Amino acid sequence: MTWRYRLVFASIVFFFLLIVVRLFYWQVVRAPELSALAQEQYGTAVNVQPQRGDIETSDGFPLATSQITYLVFANPKEIQNKNEEILSLSKYLDVGVASLSADLALDRFWVPLESGVSIEVKSEIEKLNLPGIGFSQQYERFYPEASMAAQLLGFLGKDEQGNDKGYFGLEGYYDRLLSGKEGVAVQVHDAFGRPILASMNTTSNATDGQNLILNLNRSIQFLVEKKLKEGVEKYGASSGMIGIMDPKTGGILAMASYPKFDPRDYQDYPEELYMNPFISDLYEPGSTFKPIVMSYALNQNVITPQTRCNICSGPVEVGGYAIHTWNDKYFPGTDMISVIQHSDNTGMVFVAQKLGLDNMLTGLGKFGIGSDTGIDLQGEASAALKPKDQWYAVDLATTGFGQGISVTPIELLDAIAAIANDGKRMQPEVVKAVENPDGSIVGIPPKVLDQPISPQTAKVMTEIMVNAVNKGEASFARLKGYRIAGKTGTASIPIAGHYDPTQTIASFVGFAPADNPKFVMLVILNRPTASIYGAETAAPIFFDIAKSLLEYYGIPPSGE
Amino acid sequence: MNKPVLLIFGLVVTIVALAIIRTSIANNIVTSGVVLAQIQEQSDQYKLENSILYEKLYALSSLTNVAQKAYDLGYQDQASDFVLGKQTVALKQ
Repeated sequence: MTWRYRLVFASIVFFFLLIVVRLFYWQVVRAPELSALAQEQYGTAVNVQPQRGDIETSDGFPLATSQITYLVFANPKEIQNKNEEILSLSKYLDVGVASLSADLALDRFWVPLESGVSIEVKSEIEKLNLPGIGFSQQYERFYPEASMAAQLLGFLGKDEQGNDKGYFGLEGYYDRLLSGKEGVAVQVHDAFGRPILASMNTTSNATDGQNLILNLNRSIQFLVEKKLKEGVEKYGASSGMIGIMDPKTGGILAMASYPKFDPRDYQDYPEELYMNPFISDLYEPGSTFKPIVMSYALNQNVITPQTRCNICSGPVEVGGYAIHTWNDKYFPGTDMISVIQHSDNTGMVFVAQKLGLDNMLTGLGKFGIGSDTGIDLQGEASAALKPKDQWYAVDLATTGFGQGISVTPIELLDAIAAIANDGKRMQPEVVKAVENPDGSIVGIPPKVLDQPISPQTAKVMTEIMVNAVNKGEASFARLKGYRIAGKTGTASIPIAGHYDPTQTIASFVGFAPADNPKFVMLVILNRPTASIYGAETAAPIFFDIAKSLLEYYGIPPSGE
Repeated sequence: MNKPVLLIFGLVVTIVALAIIRTSIANNIVTSGVVLAQIQEQSDQYKLENSILYEKLYALSSLTNVAQKAYDLGYQDQASDFVLGKQTVALKQ
């Protein structure tokens, strides 16, 4: 009898084990596949688009932000009265009747009609209660300050796959940070379409883009753009640009170019305007380069401020070329302070020859000439210096007064800023900090690139430049009561192997207050027609802006 | 009852009780998906309204707009400093 009990028990255990094994098979081995099947039947997968990060000025105001718009789509198979709906929709959409007819005639379940539709238009269409019409939320770039700092911002375009992509400026350089990450959310619904809280639901893993907080001061940028436009028109220039930097941190306070474009409708403007000329246009800087060469020569002790030029009594012959001063006035035995004051080309030839080629090349390298500054904008260019064995005597001579050498405006501004910052050259930075989607902010610390001159030399050079402002050819435009260090520039433009005698690039570079500079500024006018001289065109613009800046910063006159 | 039987009885009761509790909780929360969806919809609606208001705020407080409004109201900039580009010829009596 016992064996019967054992047989029954064994049978029960056997069938029990069979069930367990089968359950294991369905619940563990086939679980992922069956979950996916269930999700397909009851779940809705939704692509979650991340919101692109904002680009904000230092006061937290967005220069570029995202605006909610809608993609209007249709299901042609659900639309009975196509003609009626086409007429109704055509009143609100920017799409023609013919185009709508063609779209709604397609044998598809989903057809896009128009993207970028505003919330107001969407509400009006919703009120019509048209069957087969739906809306999908999108983000579109919105520029509250219109075209302010357009070349600095860049614009948001599309790549080959039709996805958003930033081009030029900050939108291009920081495209990955700003874009964020697309995600997918799955929600399970019952037979009536009501959402069920089930473990199959997955929250979206989309991440919004990070926000950029700039060093840019919105008020200063606005002022600079206004003054630049006025200046270009007043002096009949073909274009102009202004850059302002904090010499102590390298932070870009303002950067403007004129003419510019509207980043919202960038496709309506010529492509040449997309580039930021302040970082990508190369030019021969002319006399604004003299402080760089002079300061390095002082630093290397090859000259002192009181050194007398013994070749300055007339034009200087170098390598078969005669080098003249800008006004053909000569000052025999002039000292170095007067060389800068009179913007004396022959004096600078003397300095360059005293410096020698090796020192010149080393000095230029330390000042960052011939290489990228590393500014955080897409599109920076630079012209590498020629190898040492390709330099002739005349090249050394002309480099002394800023001709025969090509720089971008940002290179020059950064180099002059070193004189304003106790000889320390800082990396120019547009972005001050990055804000994460969770609100945490990561600052970008200032970076010292090099120390081309000592603090003592910087102080001496500053005084020489203050003297140039007070007694040089731009002294009529200077701000009385303030110590401002600066230098005019009237650079010839090379055309087909010679220099154009009728057109120039007029510029002025300077910083203020001289004793504790809050800003360093470079103003450039391209081919002004009212006057070719920097002292008469760029300098007045510089001092006009400097006056407003000093008032803005609450800096009282020093009484000098 | 002896200890093993008591133990097995206790385990069975615990298992059954936990199963009943789990079923009860799952039944209750599964329908809260509807409420959560409503809350999510409300939250989305507020975010949308915030977004619209921010847009209006930025447009109104932009310096470009303020400057235009000031110009329309008649405010004008101070004239720039008058600059002589060349020396003028002094008239002699």
